Amino acid sequence: MDGGADPRGGPMSSSTPMPTVMHTLRTSTHAWSAPARAVATLLILVYLAAVLAPPFAGPPPASELASVVLQPLRPLVGSLFLGHGYRFFAPNPGPGHSILWTMTMPDGTTRSGRIPDETHDWPRLLYHRRFMVSEKISVLVPPGDAPADVRDRAKRDWLPLVKGVATNLLRAEGGQRVTLDLVEHYLPDPAEVIAAATAADLVTPLGTFGPAGGTSP
Amino acid sequence: MTLPHDATSPASSSVDRGWLAEWAAAWNAFWFTPADPLPLAVVRIATGLILTWSCAVWLLDVDAFFGTRGWLAPTEVWRMNDQPWQWSWYFAASSPTMLRVLAGVTLAAAVLLTIGLATPLAALVAFVGLVSAANRAPLNVFGLDDTLGMLLVPLLIGPSGACLSVDRLLAGAGRGGAGEAAPSVAANIALRLLQVHLCVVYFFSGAGKMLGASWWEGTALWGAVANDRYRTLDLRWLAHHPLVVNALTLGTLFWEVAYPALVWPRLTRRLFLAMAVAVHLGIGLAMGMMEFGLAMISANLAFVPADAYRRLGRSLSPRVAASSRTP
Repeated sequence: MDGGADPRGGPMSSSTPMPTVMHTLRTSTHAWSAPARAVATLLILVYLAAVLAPPFAGPPPASELASVVLQPLRPLVGSLFLGHGYRFFAPNPGPGHSILWTMTMPDGTTRSGRIPDETHDWPRLLYHRRFMVSEKISVLVPPGDAPADVRDRAKRDWLPLVKGVATNLLRAEGGQRVTLDLVEHYLPDPAEVIAAATAADLVTPLGTFGPAGGTSP
Repeated sequence: MTLPHDATSPASSSVDRGWLAEWAAAWNAFWFTPADPLPLAVVRIATGLILTWSCAVWLLDVDAFFGTRGWLAPTEVWRMNDQPWQWSWYFAASSPTMLRVLAGVTLAAAVLLTIGLATPLAALVAFVGLVSAANRAPLNVFGLDDTLGMLLVPLLIGPSGACLSVDRLLAGAGRGGAGEAAPSVAANIALRLLQVHLCVVYFFSGAGKMLGASWWEGTALWGAVANDRYRTLDLRWLAHHPLVVNALTLGTLFWEVAYPALVWPRLTRRLFLAMAVAVHLGIGLAMGMMEFGLAMISANLAFVPADAYRRLGRSLSPRVAASSRTP
């Protein structure tokens, strides 16, 4: 491991021979005084603790120790936007989700659409930001065949978020009432793709909502 | 038998002091050796460009992202965030105009950060704007925003506008020459923080994957290929080549798990940085997350030595080389 920084080459030294003056810099006493380095060391350690604690603490599985360590760091973690788990595509890449909406307009006609909408949501980053809405809500919504008590408990978490989605759609489209369905898109295995076989997506009703957020699932 | 470092030997206290002194020396060398700020400036430009684009996209649907009748009402944000610590200036915005002003300020800061004008202030405002957006719209954020946050903190701490910047040109003009920024401890600390943070990201991303059977079976990549919500490049022909899917999956897993250790030795650094570029560009092209891929590649730029940037600059333009030469 390259333990020392190269003043010419950045923290990772290169294979290029260093000029004498730079060699002197590298091997000379440090530019910061000992007290300054001590203070900086303390700040670095606190920052690194704030970087490390959140991914240890979640998402599950996580230890109780990690939660205990995270508690005093929460103000710093929250303030510096460090509360991430970094579990990209883990533990397994799963199916994608979207939210289908059907809206009743003031003149009695209906409109429908999808969140995200690959044909209209452009540029791609806008599509992806809208895609996150359906992905994050899908994590909270159990499948339709889950036990009733599980579905009731989960609803307390996802319903306020889904009401926000409905409110936003009604504002943007000028509708009176909107019905939302969560769609889990079927993830075919290689054999199914080779055989050109398809299977139905899993649809979970989320409810019908008015401008005031009222629901009639 | 008494080992040389046996704690029971009479010489143990002096040996321990030597061991601790070695640790202290290594720590000092790692964090407090002055470093060339050029790599930090390159990271700044890359980060500024991506952040500028991200801000422009926030502005495309600003009422939905940050408005009171948007995707998530301000009163419901606590359900997804650790309040009150996850602050946002959008919580104080009382009108659609104010939302646009705040988003526009972030965009302007991102542009200034890119060109390196009033860089410290631009970095601060850009960071505040990024965090405010992410904390106000937690339903809409993803890895891109996490990565931009990771990139901006070192840019705040270090002299990211010391070179390749308008600030530098203005300072150089005042002194009669553009010149080059001197190595500094602050530049080293900033680059080290980014390097270590990036290793933490890859470690947990890799460790999380090791909990998944599909990564061990070598089929996880298929899960990404077959997911039509992400797909921007149709790679379903890989269904006919399961061993290729296995190799790509296991190669990705090995690279990510090994990165925190093998990016540091010179012998393996280039290989791991090249794999980072390949993996992140692949995700960007095939799964439509180019901004996220580019942000992660930008973070990897912190591992590229300043000499490499100078060689690249010389090969691209003799004028660039001349303007960045040490006086």
